[in-house]
Amino acid sequence: MKFLKKVNGVFCASEGTARLSALKEQSIKTIFFFTAAFAVIVVSFILLFLLRDGYPIFIDVGAINFLIGPEWAPTAAEPLYGIYPLIIGTLLVTLGAMIFSVPLSLGCAIYISELATPRIKAVLKPAVELLAGIPSVVYGFFGLIVLTNFIRVSFDIPTGETWLAASVLLGIMALPTIISVSEDAISSVPHEYKEGSLAIGATRWQTISRVLVPAALSGIAAAVILGIGRVVGETMAVLMVAGNAAIIPDPIWNILSPLRTLTATLGIEMGEVSVGSEHYSALFGIAVVLLIITLIINLSAVAILQHLRERRTAPAGRKPLIPPGTRQKIVFAAKMLGLALLLVLLTAMSWWLAPVVLLAGSLWFAGRPFMSENTIQKSAFCLIGAATLIVLAILLIILSDIVINGIPALSWEFITQPPMDLGRAGGIFPAIVGTLYLVAGAIAIALPLGVGAAIYLVEYTREGRITKVIRTGVDLLNGTPSIVFGLFGFAFIVLYLNAGVSLLAGQVTLALMVLPTVIRTTEESLKNIPQSLREGSLALGATRWQTISKVVIPPAVPGIVTGAILSIGRAAGETAPIMFTAVVFSSRFLPDSVLDPVMALPYHLFILATNVPGASMNQYGTALVLLLLVIGFYAVAIMVRTHFQNRSRG
Amino acid sequence: MSDAAIITTNNLNLWYSGKHALESVSMKVPKNRVTALIGPSGCGKSTLLRCFNRLNDLIDNVKITGEITLDDENIHAPSLDVVTLRKKVGMVFQKPNPFPKTIYDNVAYGPRVHGIRDKNELDRIVEQGLRHAALWDEVKDRLDDSALGLSGGQQQRLCIARTLAVEPEVILMDEPCSALDPIATSKIENLIDMLKEDYTVIIVTHNMQQAARVSDYTGFMYLGKLIECGRTKQIFEHPTEELTENYITGRFG
Repeated sequence: MKFLKKVNGVFCASEGTARLSALKEQSIKTIFFFTAAFAVIVVSFILLFLLRDGYPIFIDVGAINFLIGPEWAPTAAEPLYGIYPLIIGTLLVTLGAMIFSVPLSLGCAIYISELATPRIKAVLKPAVELLAGIPSVVYGFFGLIVLTNFIRVSFDIPTGETWLAASVLLGIMALPTIISVSEDAISSVPHEYKEGSLAIGATRWQTISRVLVPAALSGIAAAVILGIGRVVGETMAVLMVAGNAAIIPDPIWNILSPLRTLTATLGIEMGEVSVGSEHYSALFGIAVVLLIITLIINLSAVAILQHLRERRTAPAGRKPLIPPGTRQKIVFAAKMLGLALLLVLLTAMSWWLAPVVLLAGSLWFAGRPFMSENTIQKSAFCLIGAATLIVLAILLIILSDIVINGIPALSWEFITQPPMDLGRAGGIFPAIVGTLYLVAGAIAIALPLGVGAAIYLVEYTREGRITKVIRTGVDLLNGTPSIVFGLFGFAFIVLYLNAGVSLLAGQVTLALMVLPTVIRTTEESLKNIPQSLREGSLALGATRWQTISKVVIPPAVPGIVTGAILSIGRAAGETAPIMFTAVVFSSRFLPDSVLDPVMALPYHLFILATNVPGASMNQYGTALVLLLLVIGFYAVAIMVRTHFQNRSRG
Repeated sequence: MSDAAIITTNNLNLWYSGKHALESVSMKVPKNRVTALIGPSGCGKSTLLRCFNRLNDLIDNVKITGEITLDDENIHAPSLDVVTLRKKVGMVFQKPNPFPKTIYDNVAYGPRVHGIRDKNELDRIVEQGLRHAALWDEVKDRLDDSALGLSGGQQQRLCIARTLAVEPEVILMDEPCSALDPIATSKIENLIDMLKEDYTVIIVTHNMQQAARVSDYTGFMYLGKLIECGRTKQIFEHPTEELTENYITGRFG
């Protein structure tokens, strides 16, 4: 500072205050750095504590025996800890869910991005978001009451709690993820490709099937992988409908056999195990395996999306990853494998299905050269439309079932009274309040940390090694199954920090879970602020922090608020993270302090549905209240978003 | 005009979200000639060009009145299939837009979607298309490489080859050289000169010298109206409208 004089009444800073303000800038930057590093710290703590509690089992039983041991019988006289059937169960459920979900999602995604008129799009997109907003325990409840019954009756078997039920239900839950990510991928194929293809005289369907979908293929692959991640990490829904027998289906394609997944095992047994026992550490061993599986899945999805983004920004000069000849062979092999799998599955469902499908397929191939492109286009569009209608129908069936059966249970007493007779009578007031306390605490913790991390990532650093580490940490946190958060919360906060099963433990656990959402949405809205605004402010001599706080953050607030509300909605519907950390089933009173346990709506619904016979009225009432609460949060978020979008457009 | 017309527009109007983008345009495009459309930015040249293969159908809120005929057939007639129309009227875009496929697959895309599956036939069409587009010698050894690895000028000639492979009657070119350097531009211009033996070319260009060099006929557009249309020599040397003269002599634009 050489020019220390008064210019037009504006005082330039003296040497001392300049140094002071530099110090202030530096410390602000440091604070933001720590909020950003927090995500990485949490991930390493999660790994650390799972390993700490899980490693005895790897020593006692041996890692190999643990992984491929054929029997899981932790409560037998001579306990056996082999998680092979659980891994197979997880794989089978995931496979079935994808076979159900991928065709429907792709059809729906193509419909939304290419065929729907703007008005239909305006209905479909929120409908898909709504499907994503339904809490998993509500899905599980619906599956338990409606889906398993349907399967039991239509296949004439003693119980409907089967692999099939779990796969269909999880397939439904994966729909919104796959639809929205692949719709995004198809829509962002450059417009020129579409025009180029149409200008050559290709039909719309040829353009879609030969140019748009191939160009969007890696995005679609990432969508499917993210869907798989969602399915593998799901706990509550799967444990309510899968039957949970730790067996491998016999024969292996018997989709009417019950089975048990890794997550369900944690959900069922964690509550009943004595801390420090061999069984306890076996469960943490499962969590480690689960965490590693989901880490691999999510990192590969992130890598594919990253590759895609790089390709989009730097299009020229790169050779295709796999040479076309090899690629053709791989595609062919994959097709044959898929066909074989499909046939086996169809045979398992009903003996006549496979021949019928084969016949239809060969008719299609034989007839194809004789069909006009118009006919092909029409039949393809029919299938796509049908897929979209099925997705909509699923949403309508679930919503109408819950609403129609839930409305009679709703009354003033129901929402203002404590439960009586194990929840069969009375109300759910403490559960509503408990849920609100939990999400309020969670967002109060996650919002400052998340916003701070996002500000650090966007405003204070260039892309480099540090941001890469932090971003990977956030991605990992985002992909961690909710039940793993539950276990971590139990091991670290409840036991190690000695907080006990308490409101506080639940709040912190939920906060860790929604942290990535807050970071992501804040980052997005900060990135949307034009660089010229920042430059304009800095050019006037404002400091970094002045620029951020006065110029960058105010216009980003709507985006941040939207993200926060979405996180609240997600937290309100979660069961697995609070199951072992914060909740009790029945409590007549509200908690006195943050160290008391609370009731919560999702857990209440879970117990009513699985452990309390004869509470069907109050089950539906609880499900409806939970649904309304979560959807209410989402609706507010969407309204905030559209309100500000319209305003900024002018 | 003395040459036989292949495309005729009659009192063509187009509104885009209520904005009157084309105002009663009536013109004739002569067969096997190069017709250039010139005019300042936003005058409706590209919009007019995109009417000829009905690519404006892709945009919402477009309203068109008036008539366009191709070989004396109304291209908006309900009986006419838009896919057949686009087969006859090919288009090369401002920015080269090869598909993210191999060079071979880019050229073979058109014949394939129109039902040709025989490998030998496809090979022949691809080679012929690339030769016509004066690209064959540069890419014949790497047909299986990604088209995105070509230079901008090569990409644009690939797009022309892709268009030729469908054997259209008319080729629309929307400022095909605006993203290219002078050398690539001169290659494309030579190509256009050769193409007119077999095809009718309509080219939109910003560059008046280019219009003068490559075209036989020129139409001058201003604010959505076709001000004047005639032989290029006459338009450039003795324009009948003052507006045309002002633009060509660089007094505005």
